Amino acid sequence: MTSHAITSTEPTSVGWRSALPIAAVAVVAAYGLMSSDYVVTVLGFAFIYAIFCTGLNFFMGYTGQASFGQSAFAAIGGYGSAILCTDYGWEPLLALIATMAISGVVAAVVGYPTLRLRGHYLAMATFALGLIAYEITIEWTSLTQGYMGYAGIPPLGLGGFELATLKQQFIAIVVMALIGVGVASRLRQSRFGRALASIAGSELAARALGVDIARYKLVAFVIAALYASAAGSLFAHFVGFISPEIYGTSMVIQSFAMLYLGGIGTTWGPMLGAVIVSVLPEALRGLKEMQDIAYTAILIFILIFAPRGLAGLTVLFRRARRPALGKA
Amino acid sequence: MSRRRMLAAVAVAAVVTAGQARAEDGFKIGSSVGLTGYAAVIDHAWQDGLAIAAEALNAKGGLLGKKITVIFEDNHSQPQDAMVGYRKMISSDEVNLFDSGCVSAGNFAAAAFVARAELPMYLCSILPKREQEQAWAFSFLAPPRFEMESRYRYLRDKTDIRKIGILYDPTPYALMMKDLGVEIAQSFGIEVVAQETYKPDDADMTVQIGRVKAAGGGAIVKIGQGGSTVTAAKNIKQLGLEDMLLMSSNDDGAIFQQAGQILGDRFLFVAPPVQLPNELKEGPAKDSVEAFLKYWKPKYPDRDPANSARAWDSMMVLAKAVAIAQSTEGAAIRDATEKVPTYVGAYATFSFSPNQHVGITENPFLIGEYADGELVLAK
Repeated sequence: MTSHAITSTEPTSVGWRSALPIAAVAVVAAYGLMSSDYVVTVLGFAFIYAIFCTGLNFFMGYTGQASFGQSAFAAIGGYGSAILCTDYGWEPLLALIATMAISGVVAAVVGYPTLRLRGHYLAMATFALGLIAYEITIEWTSLTQGYMGYAGIPPLGLGGFELATLKQQFIAIVVMALIGVGVASRLRQSRFGRALASIAGSELAARALGVDIARYKLVAFVIAALYASAAGSLFAHFVGFISPEIYGTSMVIQSFAMLYLGGIGTTWGPMLGAVIVSVLPEALRGLKEMQDIAYTAILIFILIFAPRGLAGLTVLFRRARRPALGKA
Repeated sequence: MSRRRMLAAVAVAAVVTAGQARAEDGFKIGSSVGLTGYAAVIDHAWQDGLAIAAEALNAKGGLLGKKITVIFEDNHSQPQDAMVGYRKMISSDEVNLFDSGCVSAGNFAAAAFVARAELPMYLCSILPKREQEQAWAFSFLAPPRFEMESRYRYLRDKTDIRKIGILYDPTPYALMMKDLGVEIAQSFGIEVVAQETYKPDDADMTVQIGRVKAAGGGAIVKIGQGGSTVTAAKNIKQLGLEDMLLMSSNDDGAIFQQAGQILGDRFLFVAPPVQLPNELKEGPAKDSVEAFLKYWKPKYPDRDPANSARAWDSMMVLAKAVAIAQSTEGAAIRDATEKVPTYVGAYATFSFSPNQHVGITENPFLIGEYADGELVLAK
């Protein structure tokens, strides 16, 4: 599913404007640290999803492909961390890195034949991947404990040092999310990122320019899997419990909402979308039975008036400012 | 009135109102329920049962004079949402206790930090797995053994069927029940010839039912709730299996009615006495059922009362625990719950102790059937 419509015109220059999102993240994080565990939990989930969506953005935003199966890699990360830490006493950070490596290998093995598909066929194949992973988490009870789930997963830590409080873990998650976005931004500005953008624009044109389409798609898929795996692991350590429902289709739907709402193909859009989609239902909690209706209505409203996502609005502001400056 | 005076009046009013709100805080019960998603039917019933119990207890002066408020948070049957809801109820609502619905994974996800907050958890679901979490949790769900024993006893005493198939969904409670069912079958002279699984949203189970028949099974013992029971009944009829019995888990009466309309007296189900009130004999159980139905019937005349009765019972146990503790503090209620004398409730009899946090210790279940438009005791 290739689409030039989702490639962003967001500037990649480094300046004071590029520091604004980091400052915004710092403000949100500071607000979380001064708030109750409830707020920290909501924001913690938001930044975990930000990592997941930043990875998904590589494949869907920068490369213009569709993947409905990233939850499979989150499941590998989550269950891998749970099993390695709970049953084998691994250090959480080492388990996180090890499961990222496993996810990367699985993504390469699965992606090599799958990514030969295009459009709807690729979407269906990746969706099947997510469903297979979900079924495995339910049925392979000797490994995953099925619906009983894994409890007692330790919080993040290394070398005997444990992030014991929720707020310490939250800080670690925010830092990892920022590193994730930083790496994504650098890659996007590289030769590799430009190759992905060319694939998103037109596969035929990219091939004519000498871009190895299959290889670049596979690498983007593997990178997305690494991010998803890290997010899955962080979820397991943050909550201390996982079960199959966590890595089900609702994760895919939620991450799509975050990606499109925030701005697919933009650097900060996935994080912006993750924070809004996570925080919005909580802001509307007082509406009780009407909460879900109000939530979806707001999402639809935003998508109608900001079809390129909220991060895409910055382009409009910039366009609006230019004539004004010109007049002055 | 000058602007300054008006501002001062508003400020004073705000302070007074805040003070009143604190004074009227009362006793807050948090309830994480799956009002949407797979647990919606049972958790809606749980919610309504808690609400009418709170109403009944408040009519008698609340708990130690404190008015009960139940705060419900929909977890969408998802553990992640449950965790957020639990955190909210601890941090923002400052609840005194939890009395939550049947989304096991949601309750498990929250169990660790609820225990750290030293708040008791009364649960519609099974207990969390870890010992330190179980110390704060109390289950109002019948042990899986009871449903299986009731069905096997019926087969042994009332039928010639000795070979059965078990049809189960992969939820924690169903898996526990299936394993127990296989384990204890022999002690009832019954052989489990097939074990077949299904998903709660499966639209067809003819393959699984066909396999049970092929293996020589004369009855299907179904473990799992919801519309899948009706699907299984339809499939048995479609396959023309005229002698096959379908024995369902305990569920909502509406499900029993639909399946009973399809299979007639070949559909049997596990039911607590409150679901078959005509069969109740004089005694404390009947008194409890009537006390519950007095509040239930006027509000919900057409709804099945079973799972709401269980929620009601959990609130009655709470009232007894608070009366023993003479405190509304979490640790005191936890300790007192273990000391509540055996309580004959509307759904079952509950006996908690320091070593027993699953309250139902006596098998409350009867075997029912649908006949003449009613749920009645099976012959």
